Amino acid sequence: MRKYNYILLITILVGLAGHVSYSQTPKNDLNLSLGYYNDNNHFQYLKANAKTKIDRKFQMVPGISLTFYLGSESPENLLGRAISDDKGDAVVFIPASIKAAWDKSAKHSFTVVSANTPLYDQTKATADVTRAKIKIDTGEDRKITATFLEWKDSAWVPVKGVDMKIAVRRLDADLNVNETATYTTDSLGNVSADFKRDSLPGDEKGNLILVAKTEDNETYGSVSSQKAVPWGTAFKYVSHFDKRTLFARRGRSPIWLELMAYGIIVAVWGVLFYLVMQIRKLKELGVSGA
Amino acid sequence: MESSVQQKIIQDLLPQKFGRKGKLWVAGLLFFCALGLAAYIHQLSKGLVVTAMRDYASWGIYISNFVFFVAISLVGSLISAVLKLSNVQWSTPLTRIAEIIAIAAITFAALIIIVDMGRPERFYNLFLHGRLQSPIIWDVIVITTYFIISILFLYFPLLPDFNLMLHTEKKQQLPFYKFYRFFGGFWKNTAKQIKVNKRAINLMAITIIPVAFSIHTVTSWLFATTYRPGWDSTNFGAYFISGAFLVGAGGVVIAMYVLRRAYSLDKYITFYHFDRIGKILVMLALIYLYFNVNEFLVPAFKMKKAEEEHLMGLFNGEYAGIFWFAITSSMLLPILILVFRKGRRPLPAFIAGSLVVVGSWFKRYLIVTPTLLHPFLPMHDVPSDYLRYFPSWEEWAIAIGSLAGMLLIVTLFARIIPIIPIQETITEIEKHEKV
Repeated sequence: MRKYNYILLITILVGLAGHVSYSQTPKNDLNLSLGYYNDNNHFQYLKANAKTKIDRKFQMVPGISLTFYLGSESPENLLGRAISDDKGDAVVFIPASIKAAWDKSAKHSFTVVSANTPLYDQTKATADVTRAKIKIDTGEDRKITATFLEWKDSAWVPVKGVDMKIAVRRLDADLNVNETATYTTDSLGNVSADFKRDSLPGDEKGNLILVAKTEDNETYGSVSSQKAVPWGTAFKYVSHFDKRTLFARRGRSPIWLELMAYGIIVAVWGVLFYLVMQIRKLKELGVSGA
Repeated sequence: MESSVQQKIIQDLLPQKFGRKGKLWVAGLLFFCALGLAAYIHQLSKGLVVTAMRDYASWGIYISNFVFFVAISLVGSLISAVLKLSNVQWSTPLTRIAEIIAIAAITFAALIIIVDMGRPERFYNLFLHGRLQSPIIWDVIVITTYFIISILFLYFPLLPDFNLMLHTEKKQQLPFYKFYRFFGGFWKNTAKQIKVNKRAINLMAITIIPVAFSIHTVTSWLFATTYRPGWDSTNFGAYFISGAFLVGAGGVVIAMYVLRRAYSLDKYITFYHFDRIGKILVMLALIYLYFNVNEFLVPAFKMKKAEEEHLMGLFNGEYAGIFWFAITSSMLLPILILVFRKGRRPLPAFIAGSLVVVGSWFKRYLIVTPTLLHPFLPMHDVPSDYLRYFPSWEEWAIAIGSLAGMLLIVTLFARIIPIIPIQETITEIEKHEKV
């Protein structure tokens, strides 16, 4: 009996030691950032990024639960929840259900809160945003005018001194329409740029997508607007897959390859057929010989 | 020749029943075949995920085995065709052994490819929708052709032997009497039949050489037409064929030794035969060594960045042990043993042949796997299990089962048909007596 008591005591001590060492594992600091995006004056969404510093290097934190709020963190202000991806990013679209609260004010504050996990304490980040939009106009000689407007006193008013980019959308990135990288809006909220990208392939009708945008603006967040213009060259996809090439589909192998291959196959299998016929001949000779 | 001598040769060379050791040997092979089959059924039910093959090493020991089988099958054309057309008389007792090995190996080369398929029930699509532009289709065509021609090359020289066996005194006691009668009962040994048979064998000897060269050149092109470190070589066709002749000849030496001992064929497979085949092995090992120097020295001299990781892995990295074992075992040691007259006696020659075959299997493993693990464009954030390859138990069981299956075919052939051509042996002895 005494022996069992000792075993029980050791088990409890080992368990306690394990618990103490586990609970004493230091937690890492979680860095949260929050950004507001207005895509083409149509989609508004929030993007949070979670990262941590390990061995003096930032590493993204995937798989952490994040909760987004409009204003303070309370259930009635909930915008949505998301889990961070491999890049530490989590995105929540601003739902139509908060339209009434959204329309009430020109300025909004957003909050994102991370879940309390064994590795990270609960962390919070906020973003204050003034509602804004961009308007694109195009004129003769491929001139582009973009106007930056903010919502103020129930009207859209131009904003001076906002940095903007004017670009044309390509497959993976935006290409500046000329050599100027950024423009600053004048007192009318306007920037003007000349389109100098000749012979850019567009869609089948030659349409290109122009983009005017601000990125990570402290007051307005990331706002962008797009407009289709027929300034590109019409792109017609020509498939070479049906040509007679080594990489074409089955029935399109090169004639020389077919002739050579089938020639060899017929010759060799002709010999094999001849040999099989010789077996037949041997049988006949055997019968007549007998 | 006296009839009693003839009868003695026939009696000596008739297929013999398995003794206790033979039965144990067959039971052992059947066991490994059954194990391989069970592993394959498991692989079929669970999918190829049970193997260690992933996106990087998508070819593992199945394909290594395939290349090995194709290589060893080339011995049929070497012994039966190349030596025959060169008028080499001493190779007569070895021709049938070589052809049996060729058939057994090519059968399992074809089977192991199906084993490597994730959905083998769709195999027929290869014939229905195969692209003539694809080296895989070339391989399918040449393997099928080589299989058929090897069977014919075994069959035609067997016809006179069937006749001899059907006319022995104890013919009714032969366990495969009906088999011999079905396949060779029509052979009456008439002058016309002999003439037709001889012409057919000569035609086959000429045809099988380009087909054999094609089969292994195409196998090498499966690799060389793929742009990868270690495979991007114009030397691959010749490199593969020289290696194939070497491993095939090594296989024949092993079979010669084992069959000579098992069936007491000392009078027919003599020291002279070991001496001759030993010399051929030395020549083949030197040729293969030459191609290996070409294959590794030239890229190592340039040491292009993408090739560097692959080559250094072989020379002094994770594969260095296997690499130097394969080079030493399949080439250097056999040359050292066989270059001396005493080394060409049966036992040392058998040891050299075994070293060649074992080293050559590992050489095929090194041709396939390390290259796949070092792609030109590595994947981003690749899972760690993609970066290394060690076969799963299913792969080992299937690979060993296929090797056992090949040996089983050779063993069963040795039980059913004379492993040394009887009629040819008699004819040659008669020729010598006349001279």
